[in-house]
Amino acid sequence: MPLFDGLRLALREISAHKLRSFFTLLGIIVSVAFLVAVVAVIQGMNAYVRENLAGAIVGKNAFQIRRTPISVGFIDDEEYRELQRRPIIRAEEVEFVRRAIPDAQAIALQSGWPTPLADVTWRNRTVGDVAVFGVTAPYQMVQDYEMAAGEALIDLDIDDRRRVAVLGFDVADKLFDEIDLAIGRKIRVRGQEVVVKGVTAKKGTVLGQSWDGFVMLPITLFETTYGRRHTTVISVKMPEAYQVASAMERAEEAMRVARRLRPGQPNTFTIDTAEGLISFWKSLTRIIFTVVPAVVAIGVIVGGIVIMNIMLMSVTERTREIGIRKSVGASRADIQRQFLMESICLATMGGLLGILAGWGLAEVVAILSPLPSRVTLWSVALALGLGIGVGVLFGVYPARRAARLDPIVALRFE
Amino acid sequence: MAEQPLISLRGLTREYRMDAETVYALRGIELAIGTNEYVAIMGPSGSGKSTLMNVIGCLDTPTRGEYWLNGTEVSRMSDDELARVRNREIGFVFQTFNLLPRATALHNVELPLIYAGTSARERRRAASRALERVGLADRMHHRPNELSGGQRQRVAIARALVNDPSILLADEPTGNLDSVTSQEIMAVFGELHTQGQTVLMVTHEADIAAHAHRVVTLLDGVVHSDSVREAA
Repeated sequence: MPLFDGLRLALREISAHKLRSFFTLLGIIVSVAFLVAVVAVIQGMNAYVRENLAGAIVGKNAFQIRRTPISVGFIDDEEYRELQRRPIIRAEEVEFVRRAIPDAQAIALQSGWPTPLADVTWRNRTVGDVAVFGVTAPYQMVQDYEMAAGEALIDLDIDDRRRVAVLGFDVADKLFDEIDLAIGRKIRVRGQEVVVKGVTAKKGTVLGQSWDGFVMLPITLFETTYGRRHTTVISVKMPEAYQVASAMERAEEAMRVARRLRPGQPNTFTIDTAEGLISFWKSLTRIIFTVVPAVVAIGVIVGGIVIMNIMLMSVTERTREIGIRKSVGASRADIQRQFLMESICLATMGGLLGILAGWGLAEVVAILSPLPSRVTLWSVALALGLGIGVGVLFGVYPARRAARLDPIVALRFE
Repeated sequence: MAEQPLISLRGLTREYRMDAETVYALRGIELAIGTNEYVAIMGPSGSGKSTLMNVIGCLDTPTRGEYWLNGTEVSRMSDDELARVRNREIGFVFQTFNLLPRATALHNVELPLIYAGTSARERRRAASRALERVGLADRMHHRPNELSGGQRQRVAIARALVNDPSILLADEPTGNLDSVTSQEIMAVFGELHTQGQTVLMVTHEADIAAHAHRVVTLLDGVVHSDSVREAA
């Protein structure tokens, strides 16, 4: 039988039992939808981490000189002890770095993540659990902060340890009726009085977390309250992306000099870009990516068995039809192809419906939650391949059963 | 009559093994049927006429003996070779019509040509022509459940004819029809025979068998009588 006739026959048979076909495919549809949706959400988050989160933490065209790497990931005890022995980044080391990278756009020292949380009070209003940073003035350039009101911190604020602060937009918004009213007000950060000098423009949210709920203090003031933090980092921002790599090399050299490391001695610091953060994230998603296929595989196998059962039922139901077809000259191969084609069409439809459902699901997730989603071509191709594969694998047995029917017996079948 | 008969059966035996017992359905049939003969095979139930029909129709193969059709031995053919012979050489008409219920008359008639690999256009033309031959030109797009019993059997006959078979095999073709319709169907067979079609019919009704020119009677798996009627 020509391929086209077989295809038409299979589609007609499937559409003759629409509801039954749909329920037959439910297992495949759900598994494939799950695959597509989960992959879409993870890929979306990957892209998001790369484009937003990493940039937001490290800064654009920027890298950090840190005590420990961003990607703590999964390390053994030996490494962990080595990291714990490393000295804290010191303010004096900024000078070494600055001399090594004169072409930097900004070089800053900051208290880093994780950072202490404190209540911020103005008169009778309090905003709880605000992230408190200690920074040097260039940090505001590294992070590309725009001021919504007032002024940014300047070097003198840091050098003179002035009792001033720059508020994140959300903090100012909650404490004051208008942003402009914040400037010059005395607020209390963990009981300490500081004067609001400026308010940064809104940066928005990342993964549903506001990026504007912070108080920036001169790092000198910060350290009188919180001490020197283990998390202190130096940020270096370059004017263009291509300059980052060479700047990182020079920063490494400068740091080794600053710490008097002999050749052969390992670094007692880490130089990281947002890539470090991305690779940490990727090591997390890799775990998810090993679990998802297992779940999908189970779903697809169950879905395939359902298809096989329905096809076996269909073969029994259509025994007489098979007899008729054989009596007019259908060969075993003809009958086998007919039923195989049907199960392949069925499973492929399941794959397609699953892709649509998964796509829809991913879109709904993207709309209803802060999780972004991105449907990728490879997951769609994989889903479709799975559908066809299941159709072949679980269609062969029923098709062979049909092909082997004795025409005399089949014709007499009631 | 042609020197070489269309169908030649020599010592045809078909036995079925049921548990330890061997049942003989056919025990050495000797029969030759020539082109353009109109033969009725009669016999009581259990005489082996259905088995003989299945073997001649290439749905079944003999245990022993030879079956020559159109100069080739089909008794030792494989399943797929038999399927090809059924497709090219044989047209079946069954008692229960055996039409595909969801397909139109036209599609039912096209069925053998689909397996012959005929193009869609040629299929449609041949199927229409076959339906016209049995007087159903105006019912081509009806499904079997929209047709009367006689009309269904005509569709079945059209399907049997569409591949221009060497032999038309009818198994109790009027068994499910009333007497008036039966006469109509027998008239169709008669007409086809006069057009040159070889017809082989199994029946247990004497008045149906009376339409044939030769009556072969089976009894206990062997040919009991073989009489040619001098008519026309």
